[in-house]
Amino acid sequence: MSSEPAPPEAPPAAPTGRGLRAARTGLVTAAASIVLFWRILRANVLSLVGFLLVALICITAAIVLVAPHLIVPYGPTQITNETKNWQPPSWQHPFGTDGNSYDIYSNVMLALPLDLGIGIFIAGVSLLGGGALGLVAGYWDRPGTVGGATSVVILRITDIFLAFPSLILALAISVSLGKGVWQTVLAVLITWWPYYVRLVRGEVLALKHLPYISAARAAGVKDGRILLRHVVRNILEPVIVYFTLDIGTVLVTFSTIGFVAHAIPYPGPTPEWGSMISYYQSNGLITAYPWTVLAPGAAIFVTVLAFSLLGDGLRDVLDPRSRRVLASSGRGSGSVETPAAELPSAMPPEPADGGPEAPSPTPGAEEAS
Amino acid sequence: MSAPVLSVEHLTIDYEVGAGTFHALADVSLEIETGHVVGIVGETGCGKSTLAQAIPRLLPEPPAKYRSGKILFQGTDLVTFPRWKFPTIRGTGIGMIFQEPLNSLNPAFRIYDQLAEAVRIRQHREAGRTLVRPDGEAPYDYSRPPEGPGAGAVLSKVLVPPTAQDAAMHRAARARPDLKEEVLEYLRLVRINDPETILGLYPHELSGGMRQRIMIAMALSEKPSLLIADEPTSALDVTIQAQVLTLMKELIDEVHASILFISHDLGVIAETADEIGVMYAGHLVEFGPVADVYAHPSHPYTKALLRAAPRRYKADGPLDSIPGSVPNLSRPPPGCPFHPRCPLAEPRCRDEPGPPLDPAPGRLPGHRSACYFAAEVASLP
Repeated sequence: MSSEPAPPEAPPAAPTGRGLRAARTGLVTAAASIVLFWRILRANVLSLVGFLLVALICITAAIVLVAPHLIVPYGPTQITNETKNWQPPSWQHPFGTDGNSYDIYSNVMLALPLDLGIGIFIAGVSLLGGGALGLVAGYWDRPGTVGGATSVVILRITDIFLAFPSLILALAISVSLGKGVWQTVLAVLITWWPYYVRLVRGEVLALKHLPYISAARAAGVKDGRILLRHVVRNILEPVIVYFTLDIGTVLVTFSTIGFVAHAIPYPGPTPEWGSMISYYQSNGLITAYPWTVLAPGAAIFVTVLAFSLLGDGLRDVLDPRSRRVLASSGRGSGSVETPAAELPSAMPPEPADGGPEAPSPTPGAEEAS
Repeated sequence: MSAPVLSVEHLTIDYEVGAGTFHALADVSLEIETGHVVGIVGETGCGKSTLAQAIPRLLPEPPAKYRSGKILFQGTDLVTFPRWKFPTIRGTGIGMIFQEPLNSLNPAFRIYDQLAEAVRIRQHREAGRTLVRPDGEAPYDYSRPPEGPGAGAVLSKVLVPPTAQDAAMHRAARARPDLKEEVLEYLRLVRINDPETILGLYPHELSGGMRQRIMIAMALSEKPSLLIADEPTSALDVTIQAQVLTLMKELIDEVHASILFISHDLGVIAETADEIGVMYAGHLVEFGPVADVYAHPSHPYTKALLRAAPRRYKADGPLDSIPGSVPNLSRPPPGCPFHPRCPLAEPRCRDEPGPPLDPAPGRLPGHRSACYFAAEVASLP
């Protein structure tokens, strides 16, 4: 998942001068966005690490999907060496082998696209579905109208789902649906969307009485457009941050269900990290052959950590207030060679108002909220 | 004399909240002639902002309740107007400048995007692409010849009535034209230097005065028939207040718009308005031509308000003040709302219903006052 703020891709240049100019402007804009993005990330080491890790994980997952033979030496249930099972990590088997002589490294790698895809899919569907319901419930909540009734219905249904402990409910649904990837995905999804309804509704409620929403209404903007343009853009920041952090949480929950309910058969054609841990620890061999459990556990840990770090970094990228400050101050942060005299030039250009009023030197300082 | 652009008739609005019912507006009637500037003054909590937001139906309506009365905007009664059509009135019909310039711009969009949205709304309505008022009279005509060169030229230039050019405008609107030139014109209209740079900035990078100018530019770019300015300067510090006021005054001269100007500053109203309305505890107690009201107030509250206004430097003792305080609007006093604090009050003021807004005796024709003893006010100190 690339977290780039989607720089506008230059359209194919038409042979006219206008098309060429548009294409060039598009390229310049795209390049500028990438540079800006890079500077913001560089300002915070942890978010940079998170971004690089997520990028690495995504690229690896793509390679495993498209061309597995490049980095996955064995199949999921391919017997690597019949004479020597339970091999400790070595150059040939980076994470060792198990009692069936299956290569642990290959299984961990083959599970990556599935676990990552599940995390993004469940969080994404919850974000879209629950978020849409939350928008409606938050924006049209005037009692005594159709919108108010809709809002009440949405919220009460949400409350019903939230009343159950989500993990227990997901486990119960998973057990009743039976084993399999899609059954487990469905089980988690059913318990996952209500949190997004609550989150988005809360953000919308806080936002919709702000003066700029009233100002948009006073300017004759219609409700639907206010919601889609003004409200959504301003709740995007906390919601996307939550979504990114949530990918990790989904992964952990999914693995937990795999661990407790053996929801995904292992060893089998589709390995999954939670099921792997469950399978190896249930043989009671964890002390004798720790690598069998540590490898998938570390995979979960690194993936969740990467998304958590990225989520924190995204907060800065998405907020126009912190964006420009970070982009300008990020240059050589921590090094002594940045001349102090250079800093003022990195401030936003002076509007040269002519009056005694000057733009605030520190953006955000005059936020009179 | 043309018909008034806005005529509020006996408007009564309550706020129903948990603690009880607050009578925010009681029987308010006023008219705004086309091209006139009407100022409304009053203390905090007297219903000025409620009036400003009630006219374009911006009040949040579970607490607010329209009890009775009419808001006739170009002949359309906005009180009975269907809710889903409200957007067609706002913006191009009734524009609004808010009290809080600091928070009235969307922090996530650049200045260009915010202004372009306003321009686009107007263009779409001119092209007949989006809903316009069904019984729509022609929008207010800004093309009255402006005195001398000025921004009036900008405002009178476009405004195409929806006729043969519809198709072209429709296509243009759909193609999302680059509105940069038009947006720049409005930024220049509100005296912003270097508008090209401003276009690419976010609201938090501008000062309060700049943001208020951009709000004014947004409101004007929709070419409203009526502009409501709800204390446009009160959130700004004094020097910037002066700048924005100067700008408003110049724009009033150039634009010839009908404006409802809300303020608690008598001086501001004196400088900008043609007519003044004085509000007290949800009632409009006096209304009339600015000069006549200031020279010969016909309501004891207006008289006291004028006396309490600071003039130049006053060295001899404290400022005059009005004894008592504003009544609690959930339990207004019976009869005339001002009688507990009024030097002229007699039992009649308490026992009879509040006096109607009648022509003040011996004053100019448009001058009306809601007091039984309007003729005796002149004798007050």
